[in-house]
Amino acid sequence: MVFSSINFLFYFLPVVLLLYFTVPFKVKNLVLLISSLFFYFYGEPVYLVLMIAVSLSGYLHGLWINKAKNGRYAIFSLISSLFFGLAPLLYFKYTDFIIRNINFAFGLKIPALNLALPIGISFYSFQVLSYTIDVYRGDAKVQKSFINFATYVSLFPQLIAGPIVRYTTVESELSDRTHSLKDVAYGINRFIIGMSKKVLIANSLGELGDIIAGSDENTVLLYWLKVISFMIQIYYDFSGYSDMAVGLGRIFGFHFLENFDYPFISKSITEFWRRWHISLGTWFKDYVYIPLGGNRKGKAKWLRNIFLVWLLTGFWHGAEWNFILWGLYFAVFLCAEKLFLLKLLDKAPVFIRRIYAMFFILMSFVLFNRDGLNECLYNFRGMFGLLNVPFAGAEILYYLKSYSVTILVAVIGSTPLPKTLVSRLRNYKPACSLINILEPAVQVSLLLLVTAYLIDGSFNPFLYFRF
Amino acid sequence: MGNNIKNAVSTILYVVIIFGFPIGNMIMPDNEISCSERRTLAQAPEFSIESLINGDFFGKFEEYALDQFVFRDKFRSLKAFVNYSILKKKDNNRIYIVNGHISKLEYPLNEKSVRNASDKINGIYDKYLENINTGYAIIPDKNFYLADNGYPAIDYGKMTLIMNENIDKAKYIDLFKSLTIDDYYRTDIHWSQDRLVGLADMILAVMGNSKKASDMNYVQKELYPFYGAYYGQAAVNMEPDTLVYLTNNTLENARAYDHYYKEYGNIYETELFNGTDPYDVFLAGQKPLVTVENPDSDTSRGLLLFKDSFGNSIAPLLLAGYSKITLIDLRLVSSDALDKFIDFSEYQDALFLYCTQTLNNSFMLK
Repeated sequence: MVFSSINFLFYFLPVVLLLYFTVPFKVKNLVLLISSLFFYFYGEPVYLVLMIAVSLSGYLHGLWINKAKNGRYAIFSLISSLFFGLAPLLYFKYTDFIIRNINFAFGLKIPALNLALPIGISFYSFQVLSYTIDVYRGDAKVQKSFINFATYVSLFPQLIAGPIVRYTTVESELSDRTHSLKDVAYGINRFIIGMSKKVLIANSLGELGDIIAGSDENTVLLYWLKVISFMIQIYYDFSGYSDMAVGLGRIFGFHFLENFDYPFISKSITEFWRRWHISLGTWFKDYVYIPLGGNRKGKAKWLRNIFLVWLLTGFWHGAEWNFILWGLYFAVFLCAEKLFLLKLLDKAPVFIRRIYAMFFILMSFVLFNRDGLNECLYNFRGMFGLLNVPFAGAEILYYLKSYSVTILVAVIGSTPLPKTLVSRLRNYKPACSLINILEPAVQVSLLLLVTAYLIDGSFNPFLYFRF
Repeated sequence: MGNNIKNAVSTILYVVIIFGFPIGNMIMPDNEISCSERRTLAQAPEFSIESLINGDFFGKFEEYALDQFVFRDKFRSLKAFVNYSILKKKDNNRIYIVNGHISKLEYPLNEKSVRNASDKINGIYDKYLENINTGYAIIPDKNFYLADNGYPAIDYGKMTLIMNENIDKAKYIDLFKSLTIDDYYRTDIHWSQDRLVGLADMILAVMGNSKKASDMNYVQKELYPFYGAYYGQAAVNMEPDTLVYLTNNTLENARAYDHYYKEYGNIYETELFNGTDPYDVFLAGQKPLVTVENPDSDTSRGLLLFKDSFGNSIAPLLLAGYSKITLIDLRLVSSDALDKFIDFSEYQDALFLYCTQTLNNSFMLK
């Protein structure tokens, strides 16, 4: 099931909300757990068992780690948790990649297993690992209730598309959280905003991407429009889903951390990764980069650690070489910025720094688009006029005109401008009252509009499902 | 309004919407067809454990929920309004509106398809039509007249060139200059029969037929409102068309024989105007093989008309020059099977009459 569907909005969610807010507190987690399992079963009936197994493994390992914590062999409990937590992810996601590359390297013909990737496995595996590692470190108390733990792992707001919620973020709220009208209203607002971002902008730009992919036209403008629309689509798709997750979590009394913070206003690649998919970046920082020594073991190891983390980050996104290259692409920039580039950039005007960051972020999306390496190279050549093709054609100009307002709205919406404007207006009492009247009206309008687009459109899955 | 009141209002409105619509969906009876979209709507899926495990049930339930959502047409209109008027998109689901005419984007030119069509025509000629006076014509779609307004369209010149270069045994009849956008319905893909009398005369003349449709003293009849094929797809509020048909005693007495169902019908089946496709008024719509007989003909000349849906409305006018016309829809009957139904020795003329969209998607011709 996806959030941006009629079934979720008008059948699943109302039933869950009704049950959740009518049962006593001690049963609320059970309601969430059962709903979450149903939510997962709806989209992935077969692999529900896998998710339950990974949750059970995390839970049991948590108990074991807690018991063995101060003993000599505590490390084995951690290693075991890492093995059982990562094994399913490695098996389902990377086996065929390994087979393909062995075949290529050694001229073999080992048949691929053609495994379907269980939905959300990259997210819930990392969540379970964050728990067992934090219990081992003493940062989190062991969770003795399997229902509470399984609720944390399977919680449908963030189960299949993130953000990667650390156990410590919701540890206390699992057993003790409050519900208020303010939180519910906030949650509804975030949810509607996220849904609007996904349905009204991301899906629309996804359609544009499909049109461009199917076009026979071969022009420089087409290649640029392809990558720009893809970049904006991914942002609105992913940040929209994160908004929905944060909003839904808040309705149920959970305070998830933000996953995006206007990444396109960044003035460096370093800043970009503090604003984009924050939960993944901090996960790798806390569980890979810092344990490897971070920047505290000399320059050579520091650079090694950056490259390793970014190789893994790229690999997490997909079992293809273009994702590994994408991760290493950022590693090069991050190293360069840390070594000398940031100092140089600090001397430049802000707009130059933003152009620098935006340009190289945009280029990264050519690598990120899973067309394969040859296709990535072809796209780069197309963008910079190295394919001896005209600058623009009738078809691409038509679609540029057709989508210009959508893209403009998307660009403005990707900056803090609207939020800043509203905040400043709220300082004036008359404007504040007007905003308070308009806000529910805008929410209703957006909700009805999203419904209209869903009814008129077709199936619109979240792009990060492949993770 | 204070924040607390705002929060309460937001929450109440949200609850009303997400509970109100599903309750409305459950109360309202399910519809079987969508008149605006001209298709059947998904019905409630049957439940089984197997369909639940393999995900079929949920997939079908999603389709059902979408198709049966209350106020579905109004929501589609809302989306169309936002797309056209606020986001200023040039098309909505490839449907665009220019000067009051609704059309659908059709591009790019599929050269393979056009060559396939010409090969098909040549193949049929070689097999059946060697001693028959044969012509072919391309019916321009509305995009030919509307695309100058900044919309992508197929390369009509190239399409014509490919056809002309590949077909040498049939006469080409150029229709492009004989029609304007006003000869087509505003809300439908098709042309309007009352605008085709001159065209029918031209076709008859090129085919060497001295009869004229313009001599037939037609009476114009109208059916309103005509919501064309594009009307429902566009989902906009627009004045519907008036479906016009031309009739006289000959056409009222003429009969149309359906070779598939082996039954006779009328030239104009006006009771079909209120069905899913009102254009079915002309010869009861899409049928594989229909023979129309002219009871008042003073000639024994017969015409084989290989056609798509456009042919249904011009055939009654062409009947002025023939004792009978057999309409053949190769989308529905294989060209290899024609000799089982048709005695080709009874026909002196053959005409291939296809719209540009058919030629651009000709692999559906059997």
